[in-house]
Amino acid sequence: MEIVYTNIIFTIVAFGILYFLLSKYAFSKLFAVMETRRELVMQQMDEATKTREQAVAYVEEQKQALNSARKEAQTIIQQSQITSSQQVERILEQAKADASRVKDEAVRDIENEKKKAVEELRSEIGTVSVRIASKLLQKEVSVSGEQEQLVDQYLKEVGGQS
Amino acid sequence: MHDMPKIFVGGIPIDLSAVLMLLISSIVVFGLVMLSVRNLSVENPSKLQNFMEWVVEFVEGLISSAMDLKKGKPYISLGLTLILFIFVSNLLGLPFSVVTEVTEGPVSVFGHVIEATRNMVPGDHVELLWYKSPTADINVTAGLAIIVFVLMNYLGIKLNGKHYFKHYIEPFPIFLPLNIIENLSKPVALAIRLFANIFAGEVLITVILKLGVASIPFLAIWQGFSIFVAALQAFIFTILTMVYIAQMTIHEEEAH
Repeated sequence: MEIVYTNIIFTIVAFGILYFLLSKYAFSKLFAVMETRRELVMQQMDEATKTREQAVAYVEEQKQALNSARKEAQTIIQQSQITSSQQVERILEQAKADASRVKDEAVRDIENEKKKAVEELRSEIGTVSVRIASKLLQKEVSVSGEQEQLVDQYLKEVGGQS
Repeated sequence: MHDMPKIFVGGIPIDLSAVLMLLISSIVVFGLVMLSVRNLSVENPSKLQNFMEWVVEFVEGLISSAMDLKKGKPYISLGLTLILFIFVSNLLGLPFSVVTEVTEGPVSVFGHVIEATRNMVPGDHVELLWYKSPTADINVTAGLAIIVFVLMNYLGIKLNGKHYFKHYIEPFPIFLPLNIIENLSKPVALAIRLFANIFAGEVLITVILKLGVASIPFLAIWQGFSIFVAALQAFIFTILTMVYIAQMTIHEEEAH
């Protein structure tokens, strides 16, 4: 094999020129594009992570909202139960009160009717007794006016009592 | 044996085939790379761009296996140029070679006599090899190795300072000649390894071709293997360059 020193120099020069041209016109652009792609991918990954976090937070929020709604429903049901039982008690009490009032009224009416009947009876008895007495005493009373006056007085007394 | 078409221009020897092949190699590499970066796109890269990005990532991986990638960033361009240039150079001589047969000398090119055809007597027979792998020429591989040698020593002195010189007398000052030989052996090994692999490949192709029609299956196998060897040698040259640069520039604490 023959050593030709110019070949060595040519090689160095050719390689140097090739290296210079490629670095200047090709590789710098290529590296820039690759760097941009790397950044793009990183950015997209970041975004994906953020979106996932947001989704998780949203789901959590929804869960909490659901829970609070459930709790609210529970309290509403409980309250309505309380209210209804209270109402039942009140209505029952009112009904009881009404019933007792009606009973009282009825008792009073009966009492009144009884009194009235007794009075009527009494006045009738007075009249009947007077009539009987007048029939027994008619002859003597009609003779003397003094006695008639006495009978009238008695009768008046009896009538005033009734 | 084939001769090189060498001419003398003003006393300076010029190997026309080496010049031609270096030119072709450089143009092919440059064209390939320029084609791949023609329509660069972030969102929608072309196939060629994808390929070139794969090569870039391959070289990045190669550098990161030798040194910290942060320190190795400036060498990515160098590694890329090296691996592409050597790979293309290795492949160029595989499909065919161009040999001209000269029986009557002297033959002149550009007004200069080709040395091998000077002083030819009738009956002499000269074969001039014009087209071959540029890396099948020891001068070319030596040129590449010298680039690496100069670069690694320059970077060693520039980035590593006194540790670079201290390294020559370690572990004892008596090791100085050994260390110098070690340093010098690196480019020699680089040059001879690449040259011998590619040259042997081309020689074997020439030998196989002598079989005639029967050479076709052997040639197919050997061509395929040669493509593998071409890639392997480009890879070895590049990774050794990076390893040498790393050795020279990175001062390791635990070594002292």
